[in-house]
Amino acid sequence: MSLGEMFVSGLSAVWGGGSMFLMVIVAIVLGTIFGALPGVSATMAVALGLTFTYTMGPVPAIVFLTAIYCSSITGGSITAILFKIPGVPSSAPTTFDGYPMAQRGEAGKALGIALLASAIGGLFSAIVMFLLSAPLSKAALAFGQGDLFAITFLGLSILVVLDTEHILTTIISGLLGLLLACIGQDPMAGVARMTFGQNSLLSGMEMIPVLIGLFAVTEVLKQTSAKKRLSAEDGVAGSKGRVNTKMPTLKELWGIKWVLLRCSVVGTIVGILPGAGATIASFMCYTMENKLSKYPEKFGTGIIDGIAASETANNAATGGAMVPLLSLGIPGGNAAAVMASALALKGVQMGPLLLTNQPEYLSATFITMIITNILMVIVAIGIAKVFAQILAVPYYYLGPIILLLAIIGSFSEGNFVGVSVMVIAGVMGIVVKYMHLNSAAIVLGLVLGGMCESHFARAFQSAHIVTHELNFGDHLAKVFGALFGNPISAVIMTACILMLLSPLYMPFVKKLRKAK
Amino acid sequence: MFELICNIALFVFLGYTYFTHVLEAKVPKAYIKNPNVLYPSTWPKVIIILLLICIAVNVYKIIKKNKGNPEFTFQAFGKNTLVFLKSRMFRGMVILFVMSLIIEPLGFVVTSAFLMFAYGMLLGEKKWWRLALIAVALGILLHIVFSGLLGVNLPRGTVPFLRSFSLFLENLV
Repeated sequence: MSLGEMFVSGLSAVWGGGSMFLMVIVAIVLGTIFGALPGVSATMAVALGLTFTYTMGPVPAIVFLTAIYCSSITGGSITAILFKIPGVPSSAPTTFDGYPMAQRGEAGKALGIALLASAIGGLFSAIVMFLLSAPLSKAALAFGQGDLFAITFLGLSILVVLDTEHILTTIISGLLGLLLACIGQDPMAGVARMTFGQNSLLSGMEMIPVLIGLFAVTEVLKQTSAKKRLSAEDGVAGSKGRVNTKMPTLKELWGIKWVLLRCSVVGTIVGILPGAGATIASFMCYTMENKLSKYPEKFGTGIIDGIAASETANNAATGGAMVPLLSLGIPGGNAAAVMASALALKGVQMGPLLLTNQPEYLSATFITMIITNILMVIVAIGIAKVFAQILAVPYYYLGPIILLLAIIGSFSEGNFVGVSVMVIAGVMGIVVKYMHLNSAAIVLGLVLGGMCESHFARAFQSAHIVTHELNFGDHLAKVFGALFGNPISAVIMTACILMLLSPLYMPFVKKLRKAK
Repeated sequence: MFELICNIALFVFLGYTYFTHVLEAKVPKAYIKNPNVLYPSTWPKVIIILLLICIAVNVYKIIKKNKGNPEFTFQAFGKNTLVFLKSRMFRGMVILFVMSLIIEPLGFVVTSAFLMFAYGMLLGEKKWWRLALIAVALGILLHIVFSGLLGVNLPRGTVPFLRSFSLFLENLV
């Protein structure tokens, strides 16, 4: 299918006789409101959005969730600018310049820049995703099982490098996720493993209740003990809860053209890296623009460059996160992991074959991202006008409502175990926090675990060392053959090992650098 | 101290799992005799071994980091545990566990009303009658929207009259 044909197929998939288009608009409104509400992250918004997708087909489901994902990231900037409280974590750098502008009485202008920069970043990354995903999945089709294992393993190893201050706990988290994915029947022989006698676990750990528990229930529990929760009274003085968004002039836009371009590129690349996501992208780009700026001293005092850097980057990361998901089946972040689970629930086999056999997934996602990034500007302007009414919903109503949606989402397959799993995962999320473990790594391990094991088992099977009696040495030789048997997997596995061993040798490297 | 105890508990649990629950059924003979297939227990056992090593290192690091810390004692841990048991977060957890127990017999409408009311009170709503009204109305509304309109499967409960009420709500639309 050519790019033009894919574009047309995407349009027809998203239009779908009008009902699908209406659904996208509903998703944009929901996503922007979820994003604007402090305490509801983009991942939580997507997890709660799952509730609405159970009766949809796989393509409408990914369309709906993509629209929620993109718009929730943008919605987060509203409270970041007006309340100095980011609606989503990736909007945190937006507060640095957005709030001072709002305090100066330029809230409308700050919102205008944030919305336009979000749209530019989102559109750029959607185009990159459209152009990059299909060739990447075609290239991946030529990969052997060992290569696929190496790529999946790379996704997990990158997490370690991204969180250099907690390398050990990140490794533990990733391994815990991989172990959770082993629960149930093994993929090759069908033998029950680690079910502890629970028949409901034979089909494996139910991913969606775990994700909803970790991202929604844990957050509500955290808020339960929080001393101060947000109220509309915390808003910008003089705004009286109403803000008229002012779009930037062409001159202002021209002045930040390089900021928009650089942050779109960097945000998309960061989004592609598994586990990195919108938050790292926005912080990274804000710092980068501060260093590259001709007037770095003005950053943090309320300039449009800072808002543009943060908002372009976090929206650019959304398209980036979809690239590995659609082309390789590896989620680029937590929200993408939730989408992967939603598709898995509908029997969609993620991986390189997906786009070859069913290119409509890519085309529909692309068109959705284009439509969402344009329409969300209008929706967000409307929501900013009435944000006080939305934020006036006290948390003693909002918190339980989130929990009710979480229950509906966990009871997806008419299984009460899902609800129990959600509650346990929510409580475990608190334990994970106190153990300083990384919940993103656990989720990535859980989502990629089954794929990792299957690829490894097949690579092991096809490694060309056949002996009749396998002793320990033969086993090692076979594992080595499976992982380093061809150049691609050998290079990737070497990179992974270097990343994982970095805590051991990096102190020496730093000492050597200091000595020089 | 909590971090240390959790790490040790995880270590013990993983050790127990390694020896008793990695494989819970007999492996087919075809797999036992074939040297070219990955044995079903290999992958989880490798992960558990790596986890045990990492957790052991982590335990050592936690002890080293907290040497001399007055809060790093069992007494302080006991005090903190008592504080936690009295906290709103713990009560929130209890409400969630109760909800997961009653949802099967009582169904979604009653359970959601209970959760909304109990959690709302926990979070500080003082006008209980208003919260109770909203909780009941929301439970009914969500059941109608998700079960009746969107066709999402929601628990109806096993108590006959509650089940009939849920069916009645579903048939409204």
